[in-house]
Amino acid sequence: MPIDMLKAMNAAASAVTSVTPAGAGAGKALKAGNPGSSFADTLGKLVKSVEKTTDEANTAATNMLDKTGDVHETMIALQRAEMTFQLTVQIRNKLMSAYNDIMRMPI
Amino acid sequence: MSTLNAAISASASALNAEKKRIEVAVSNLANQESTRTADGQPYRRRDVVLAADDKAFDAALGRASATGVRVATVVEDQAPFRRRYEPSHPDADADGFVALPNVDAPQEMVDMLGAARAYQANLAAISLIRDMVAKALELGR
Amino acid sequence: MSGISDAALVAALRRQMTISVARQVASAGNLANVDTPGFKAREVKFDSELEKQLGTLKTTHPLHLTPGGANGAVEQEIEGLEERRDGNNVQVDRELLTMGRAAGDFSAAQTVLAAKFRLVRYAINEGK
Repeated sequence: MPIDMLKAMNAAASAVTSVTPAGAGAGKALKAGNPGSSFADTLGKLVKSVEKTTDEANTAATNMLDKTGDVHETMIALQRAEMTFQLTVQIRNKLMSAYNDIMRMPI
Repeated sequence: MSTLNAAISASASALNAEKKRIEVAVSNLANQESTRTADGQPYRRRDVVLAADDKAFDAALGRASATGVRVATVVEDQAPFRRRYEPSHPDADADGFVALPNVDAPQEMVDMLGAARAYQANLAAISLIRDMVAKALELGR
Repeated sequence: MSGISDAALVAALRRQMTISVARQVASAGNLANVDTPGFKAREVKFDSELEKQLGTLKTTHPLHLTPGGANGAVEQEIEGLEERRDGNNVQVDRELLTMGRAAGDFSAAQTVLAAKFRLVRYAINEGK
């Protein structure tokens, strides 16, 4: 399931925590936290939000099946989860590409 | 979705059966005054007998099945003919009475309306089920 | 991840869709026989004991197999319907309502399931 793939990505990103994204242009959606925060931290936060929204979507869908929840609530929760996931994957792609760019720079 | 297709077959069987009922009702109405048929007797009202079609064969084979309907038989109504006093009629008997078909126009109209309503309902069912099959196929999109 | 797993949700969605299909089949059979003398309308009902258990999907195993019918649903005669003179008790409006509801449930479950599949495909393609 998608969430496991993200966790694998996160683990891979942790292996290169020494690389900082200063000047790597890692995408507007990144929270402007400590400018020296690593790729791993960023991805970690995103993975957490994917987990949260996916959880909420699954709960909403189950409520819909139980008839204890509304269909529109479920659809909204699903869309949020989908968008969060897609956003995270895109950011991860951009981070990986930025990382590769940096690694290719001659020292 | 073979179960849904079985359901559509069941609804389709009803379209056939109800259509037959309308045909017979129309035939009855058209022949209300037919004092002479091929066998020399006045027209006898006809009735469609329906029976549930359990598709036991399919069920036994483990195939999906839904209970449809079939026309078991078309019978002649054995109720007595109507009699009308009309001595001038070519088919009047010795006492001046004519034997007329045992057709009751209002009853035939009621039967026709009932059959038409059932036809519409089964048509709506087919539409609903067909949409469901389309939705199921969308899962692959 | 706490809460309901994706696997549990997919199983529940499949169950909902299967039951909706069963309802359509039963209603189609009823409507087809609205004029058959002596015919008694049938419906798909949940085993109420099981319903209490499965109703709390949040705590039970999603693939809980059921005795007496897959998914815990059985087809049986509808109770409490008025019989007409020919012994038939099929109510057209009731059946059409049942079919409408089942179609709606099916549609909702299908949409959620399709969204889940879409996410997995997205993950496989890595968003490219």
